[in-house]
Order: sequence, then structure tokens, then C-alpha cells
Amino acid sequence: MSKESAGPDLGDPLVGLADAPDPALSDYVPEDWAAFAFFWALAFVVFLQFFSRYVLNDSVAWTEEIARYLLICVCFVGGGMAVRKTSHIHVEFLYVYLPRVLARRLSLLVDLCRVAFLGYGTYLCWKITEIMQFQRMVVADLPMSLVFGTCTAGFAVMALRAVQVAVRHARAGESPLTRVNMEGRQQ
Amino acid sequence: MTAFLLLSFLVLLAIGVPVAIALGGASLLHVMAEDLSPHLVVIHRMVSGVDSFPLLAIPFFIMAGSLMNSAGITARIYDFALALVGWLRGGLGHVNVVGSVIFAGMSGTAVADAGGLGNIEIKAMRDHGYEVDFAVGITGASSTIGPIIPPSLPMVIYGVMANCSIGQLFAAGLLPGLLMAATMMAMVAWYAHVRGFRRDAAFAWARLAFTFRRAFLPLMTPVLLIGGMTSGLFTPTEAAIAATAYALVLGLFVYRTLSLRGLVRVSMETVETTAIILFIVAGASIFGYIITTTKVTDQVADLVLSVTREPWIVLLLVNIFLLVVGCFMETIAAITILVPVLLPLVTQVGVDPVHFGLIMVLNLMIGLLTPPVGMVLYILARVADISFERTTRACLPFLVPLVATLGIVTYWPGFVLLLPTYLYR
Repeated sequence: MSKESAGPDLGDPLVGLADAPDPALSDYVPEDWAAFAFFWALAFVVFLQFFSRYVLNDSVAWTEEIARYLLICVCFVGGGMAVRKTSHIHVEFLYVYLPRVLARRLSLLVDLCRVAFLGYGTYLCWKITEIMQFQRMVVADLPMSLVFGTCTAGFAVMALRAVQVAVRHARAGESPLTRVNMEGRQQ
Repeated sequence: MTAFLLLSFLVLLAIGVPVAIALGGASLLHVMAEDLSPHLVVIHRMVSGVDSFPLLAIPFFIMAGSLMNSAGITARIYDFALALVGWLRGGLGHVNVVGSVIFAGMSGTAVADAGGLGNIEIKAMRDHGYEVDFAVGITGASSTIGPIIPPSLPMVIYGVMANCSIGQLFAAGLLPGLLMAATMMAMVAWYAHVRGFRRDAAFAWARLAFTFRRAFLPLMTPVLLIGGMTSGLFTPTEAAIAATAYALVLGLFVYRTLSLRGLVRVSMETVETTAIILFIVAGASIFGYIITTTKVTDQVADLVLSVTREPWIVLLLVNIFLLVVGCFMETIAAITILVPVLLPLVTQVGVDPVHFGLIMVLNLMIGLLTPPVGMVLYILARVADISFERTTRACLPFLVPLVATLGIVTYWPGFVLLLPTYLYR
């Protein structure tokens, strides 16, 4: 099916189509597996909480807190995947109406904004991690810097992937945003 | 200074910066310009915005819907719906709605419905000689039932942002969701009458019994979820993990339709979608915090209330505003940004926060079917292999039952609040 007929491309749908083929395991990169591990750890902890409450009738105290922190880790480490595939939700309808040159410049500016925010975010998150070294979690006896350290790593991965994406867009002279621009003109 | 905050956010958003980064970036620029607090406040607030127990439900509701689609469970539901209402005139149209209602009871997003069940439904309707426009229209409209009938991802986000009970929001969605289905089935019946659609399948008890047995285990999911949540046995988060565990057991051990590689794919998709949604929640929590502390929300409320204090006019204005926003913005982003702005306004004229949650989500569901930004339209265009414009036109007539339901939901709070009041208050 040609791309023009389906309208502007929004990337993959949020949840897979039923007949989409499974990608090979080698298509995933290291941070994907890190996020994958956090996710399954989260699933295990939430299930443990569920199980201990309903079956053992005695909730394990630390599960709720740890689950919340693991969710934070899934968000910021999994964000690397979203940056790599440029699937973080953005608004792109403006590009249908822009002249081509302006669309390319703005698309470049968007990539720079992403790199700048995520890069500075990495630095700020590292600063928080340093401060949090001595702050303990509420129930579990662990330093809060573990959570913020993971977020820093997540920010760093997102920032690096953002650089990679920006370079790729600049070299190819096109991005998902400029593609909207091209297709909008053909319709 | 708030003008600077809003302006920088809108500019960043319009040029295509990801919503989450536009929210966080505008907040960061604001903090830099004000020079009152250290910059790291922004990141700290973003991280702690995700630190919330109800949000834990999100990955598991996503995963449950995705597992249902991947494990062939959706097809069993479709077969059952076909045996149940396929014998009516315009049968597959009714099947489409009934299938969506059942699927809505286990999935929390409209896109899971459109991409999974919608795929099967459009194929089947084409094979039976229905016009593709009718098939696409009814599939699109019925997929919006998904987030109205619990479980619902947008409702979880609304509940977290508005700080109100997710259990009550879920209970509030049940009747309006069924009403949506009823109005859509009435529309299908009308189409069938006018265009002389025939019956697609003969009714047979044997067939109904057979498909029911085959779909029995998946059909228990909505019973388990909605029953468990409304009776207070499960919290929404627990219901989400129960649904995921149940779908996993069905896919891996009972039906054995889910391969390990399929499971990895579903997990990775879940991680990606979760990260996307929560990153917006993170950005919105710092942005919302700033606009609340700068009192800009009070100014908006005062402005509107100085024009009118009549609740029905305020609700009308809010509805129109939300419909317009829904055309341009994705659901989760719209909820996270607008709850801090609109909720203080409507509560001042006496609207219940749970009632308003339903109004907001239903408005934004209609937005999924309106251009230029309509997620369901994009998915259906791809599934049906027709142009975006044609998909839009096909869905247009089906906005009628949706807007009619919206009117009832907006102006009849007793209907929406019946179950929450009965169950919780």
C-alpha cells in the first residue's frame, strides 16, 4: 500500500495490529532490554503484591513503593526506545501547510530542541541524584539516588539517541515531520 | 510571565516538538526566566509526577489489550458476537458494535480496538459485500466505546490529574458506554432499513452455544474486571495485573497461540507505549504545577464566569472547546494539559469531577474520529487500505450517535452518576 493513500504517517499504532509479524530478537538494542527487565520486574512486584494480599492475606510492605519506582524506571529508560523510533507523541499537522524549505528548517530545530532538553535534563537529573544519595526510601532501606540514578541513565540514553536521530535526519535531509510536509502536498 | 510560559509551550508544540518535551521545555524556560528556583526543580517534578500508585494500572491495561489481540482471543470474541447478533438485518454492523462492547470490557484504549478487532471486522464486512465506507465508519465509531466502558486508560489519567476516584470514574462509564452502543445499533438498524441490507447469517442455538463455549474464558475477563472493580474487590491497578495474568495464561498455556517471541514483542510495545504516555504525564505535572501556582487557571475561570454563571452555558462552551481541542490533540496529552485549567472552572458551577471526567473523555474520543489529528482514522485508513480523506468522510455520519450520547452525558448527570452513587457514595 502506498504511503500517500494512508494520509500522514503517524508511526506505528500504539498497540500492534493483530497480523503484524514478530520482529527478530536481534532488532532490539541494549536499552530496550534494560527497559524490558524493569517492566517484568514491575510486573513481578505488582503480582507479588496482589498475591500476598489476596492469597497470603498479608501484604508485603515494600511492594507498593518499589512498584512505583520501577514504573518511573520503565518510563525514563523505555523513553530511549521512543526517542529512537521518534514515537513520542507530537503534533505535526502544521507541516501539511508549510513551504518545503521552512518545513526542513523547523524539523531541524525540533531535533535540536529535543537534544537540548534531554541533554540538559541529563545534567539536572545527575545533580538530583547527587543530592539524593543520603535520602532513604520510605519503606525499603535503599537510597533514593538509585531511582534518580536510573532516571539519569534514562535521560542520557534518550539524549544520545536524540543526537543519533538528529544526525540521521540532517544527513538524509528528511524526518517524519518533513515527510508529512511532502505527503501533504501530494494529496 | 505566564503569557511567556503559554506562548513558548504553544510554539514548541506547533513546530512539532514532542508534547512531553514541549511541556517540560516551556516549564524549564519559565523557571530560567523567573530565576526563583533552581532548574533541577523541573526534572524533579517530572520524575515525581510519574510516582503515583494509580498510574501502575497503565502498562497492564495496555498489555492486556495487546495480548488479547496477539493471542487470537479477539477472533473468538468476534465469532461469538457474530452468532449472537449476526442474524439481524445489517448483521455485521451489529456484530461490530457488540464485539467492541465486549472488547471494551477488557481493553482500555480505542486504538487497541480499532487495530485488533477492527482489522477482523472490516475484512469480514468487505467479504460479505458491505460498502467499505460503512464498514470503516461503524468500526471507527464503535472503537471509541473502548475507553468509555471500563477499564479505561484515559480515565486513569484523568483520575490521577483530577485527583478523583478511578473506581468511580470506571463505574460512571458503564451506562454511557452501553448507551453509545445502543445509539450505534439503532443507526445500523436504520441504515439496514434504508439500504435494504440482508441478514448475514442464520440464527442457530447450536452455533451460539458453540461459539460461547469457545469464547467463554475470554468473555469472563470483563466479568472479572468490571465485577471485581465495582464490587470493590480489586483496585484498578490490581484488576489490570489480574487481566494481564489471565490473558497470559490463556495465550501461553490454554490456547497456546502466543509464542515467546510474540510475548517479547508485546512486552516491548507495552514498554514503549507506557513510556510515551508517562513521559507526557511527567511533562504535564511540572507544567500543571506552574500554571496552578501562577493562578492562570483562576484567571481563566474568572474570565468565563464573568461572562456567564449559567451551568448549562459553561458546559456548552467547555464541550465546544474540548471538541475543537480533540481535533488537534492526542487524548492523553489533552487530558493532562486541560484538567488543571478546566476542572476548577466547571466545579465552580457545581459540576461533579467524576461527571466532568466522562464529559472530557467522551469529547476526546470523538476527537479520535476527526481530522487533522485522529488516531483511529489513521489506523483505519491503514487497516482498510483507503485514503485518509475517505476514512474521514466514512466516519462522519457516525459522529451523530456519538454527539447525541455526549449531549445526554453532559446534561443528565443523574444518568452518569447513577452507578458511582449507588456503588460508592
